[in-house]
Amino acid sequence: MKNIMRGATLLMLCFVLILSACGKGGNGSGSEPGGSANPGNQQDGKVEEITVAFPLVSTSQQDLQLVEDEINKISEEKIKVRVKFLPINAGEWAQRMNLIFSGGETLDLTFVSGLMYSNMVAKGQLIELDELLDAHGEGIKQAFDEKYLNATKINGKIYSVPTVRDLAGSYGLTMRKDMVDKYNIDIDAIQTLDDVENLFKTIKANEPHVVPLVPGGVGQSFRENHVFVDPLGDFMGVLPDYDNDLKIVNMYEMPEYKAFIDRIRKWYLEGYILPDAATNKTTTFELIKSGKAFSYMALQKPGFAAQESKASGTQMVTKELLAPVATTSNVTNALWGIPVNSKHQEKAMQFLNLMYSDADIVNLFDWGIEGKHYVKEKGEADHIISYPAGQDATTIGYNMLGWMFGNQFLSYVMKTDDPDIWKKTAEFNSTSRPSKALGFVFDASAVKTEVAAVSNVVTQYKLPLETGSVDPDKLLPEFIAKLKSAGMDKIIAEKQKQLDEWAKNNSVQ
Amino acid sequence: MNTTTRRKRGARLRRFIPLYIMMLPGLAYLFINNYLPMFGLSIAFKDINYAKGIWASDWVGLKNFEYLFKTTDAYIITRNTLLYNAVFIVLGLLIAIAIAILLNEIRGKMARGFYQSVILLPYLISIILVSYLVYAMLSVDAGFINKTILPMLGLDPISWYLEPKYWPYILTIVHIWKGAGYSCIIFLAAILSIDREYYEAAELDGASKWMQIRKITFPMITPIITMLTLLGIGRIFYSDFGLFYQVPMNSGALYETTNVIDTYVFRGLMQLGDIGMSAAAGFYQSLVGFILVLVSNYIVRRFDKDNALF
Repeated sequence: MKNIMRGATLLMLCFVLILSACGKGGNGSGSEPGGSANPGNQQDGKVEEITVAFPLVSTSQQDLQLVEDEINKISEEKIKVRVKFLPINAGEWAQRMNLIFSGGETLDLTFVSGLMYSNMVAKGQLIELDELLDAHGEGIKQAFDEKYLNATKINGKIYSVPTVRDLAGSYGLTMRKDMVDKYNIDIDAIQTLDDVENLFKTIKANEPHVVPLVPGGVGQSFRENHVFVDPLGDFMGVLPDYDNDLKIVNMYEMPEYKAFIDRIRKWYLEGYILPDAATNKTTTFELIKSGKAFSYMALQKPGFAAQESKASGTQMVTKELLAPVATTSNVTNALWGIPVNSKHQEKAMQFLNLMYSDADIVNLFDWGIEGKHYVKEKGEADHIISYPAGQDATTIGYNMLGWMFGNQFLSYVMKTDDPDIWKKTAEFNSTSRPSKALGFVFDASAVKTEVAAVSNVVTQYKLPLETGSVDPDKLLPEFIAKLKSAGMDKIIAEKQKQLDEWAKNNSVQ
Repeated sequence: MNTTTRRKRGARLRRFIPLYIMMLPGLAYLFINNYLPMFGLSIAFKDINYAKGIWASDWVGLKNFEYLFKTTDAYIITRNTLLYNAVFIVLGLLIAIAIAILLNEIRGKMARGFYQSVILLPYLISIILVSYLVYAMLSVDAGFINKTILPMLGLDPISWYLEPKYWPYILTIVHIWKGAGYSCIIFLAAILSIDREYYEAAELDGASKWMQIRKITFPMITPIITMLTLLGIGRIFYSDFGLFYQVPMNSGALYETTNVIDTYVFRGLMQLGDIGMSAAAGFYQSLVGFILVLVSNYIVRRFDKDNALF
């Protein structure tokens, strides 16, 4: 039996080799000139190439290669590493990652989305980083408060490092500034959803062609952008009020949930919500840009209004509705990890360290090349930049989300943004209320049958219910019954067990 | 006696050696492409851990299959998959044959080429584009049907993407519109290969067009019909993922009538990305498909031996 297995593996290997040889033929011509262009480096140690994967959110990235070359100039000199970008469209991220891992493709360093983190660890896709961090991760360790690095630990080991950014989250409403001004709306007076409702009433009455509220993203419901519980990862079993004495409940059975979707339903019937919110495929930014929408709900942070104004090309203002809280989900939202496929794990860690400690690398990732994609503002502080004359976020050839790459606190700041944004963000992080379960990461592998079944039920009801498209009185009981039959209780029991154990090990009371 | 047969057999073998050698590349292809991956079926029974590798991962028996039968959805997705495919096979065949016969009656070469291309065109459109074409028709606030057709008939707009009851018809229409052109090519080829003399003889005897179709065309293309039906039945547990996922815009409210095995598996595993469980779904589908082909082939054999596949 063993021999057969070995034979089969060998045969498969041969086949893979033949295929990969074919693949190399096409790429070879591209990578070689780069190697011969820097012969000087090869005398003192070989330059290793690592592949780095990250999601692309905006599609106009024609200068990606130029930025990659610039980054390589620094990294080849400093740590003998040449990086090769593997940009993946954000919408395909989950699928492509699964393909990369099932196909055993080369990947040395990757962005890790928080939703997939515990699962990737459970499947052995990421390596433990503790030793590598001790050896090569000095810059990374210095960039963090230790509680945040600890929040990524699974079974006492770090498998991914969060990016340095806003590590807590508040939820609120993002609105078009022109209309807020036009109707003299005092946004500071907006405190509750009732206030929001009155605001929508004004907009609806005066601007019949504008939809007051649209989803915060394609395929997102309103509840996902107005989170009032610690989701404990996947929302399958949550912690109400970020405490609840660590007692997990089913969010969909909470009275707060019912009240929220009842309100959304009311808004939908009043015409405050995009009629096809449940199936909408147009991005929020497009809806805002085209003048069709007034506002959306979203996860916020300091400087959010400026970020959103940039993305939608429209002046926006924001109002916080739910105070900032730090949960494991906030911290693990954006991570970087080293896949088990990597053959250059040390080099990958060295490069990751640069992303947290080298301002030049960080700014290349975040803003592109100086003089081409941004210019330093004269007469301002050194870290203030702007787009080159005649260019803006939509015409520039390189446009990335700064929070995605390493240490954002090293990043330059656009002239239009608050110059003290990173100071404020650091303060936001340190003053936010930590959830009682901060640092707990759920490992779903023991209940994956139930998770698959519950996922299906949730995708079926989530959007229709949480966009107000259907009657909650009719569908919510059905939803809850189906969740139960799919095994929600078993997931919650397992999660509770792991949480209790975690609390015991970390002496959380 | 014995030695002569053996010698004869040896001689025959030698004579066929070139043919066997010619068969080799095909066999090698078949082996590599169709048989080698079958080792992968073991994944369906394993808890895959990338650190351990495929072979060393733990066996978990039938645990990967559980989620397929876990909820009340199991009945709905199986029912949807079977019913849709049954309708698609029957209607698809009938309409494709009808189109093929009509096309065959067109005498002008140019005209026939034109109609054939027009009917084939939808097949070549990507399903994503098709889904947006459908969306342009059914969109709640801007769709052609809600904006133009229904007001003309004095009816209220319908939230198409929230009303499951319309979707069996919508999906069937889209499927037929998209696929009929392609399957009719096969029937058209079969009809064109029928000897014209049959029709001439029939005409001399005063047979009407309808009689000719019933008594000549149909019997002559029966083997093709049976073959395509059997192949269709073999895939009855698979469904056109694009049709069932993209065209309804993945709208949760429609799952009751649009959720099929493939979309259920996709949605359930999007988050988990567990290849063991996806492999289990594929294994289950192919197993049932295999059994169905055997059974239906057996039935065909009972009635008409010549038309059976094997």
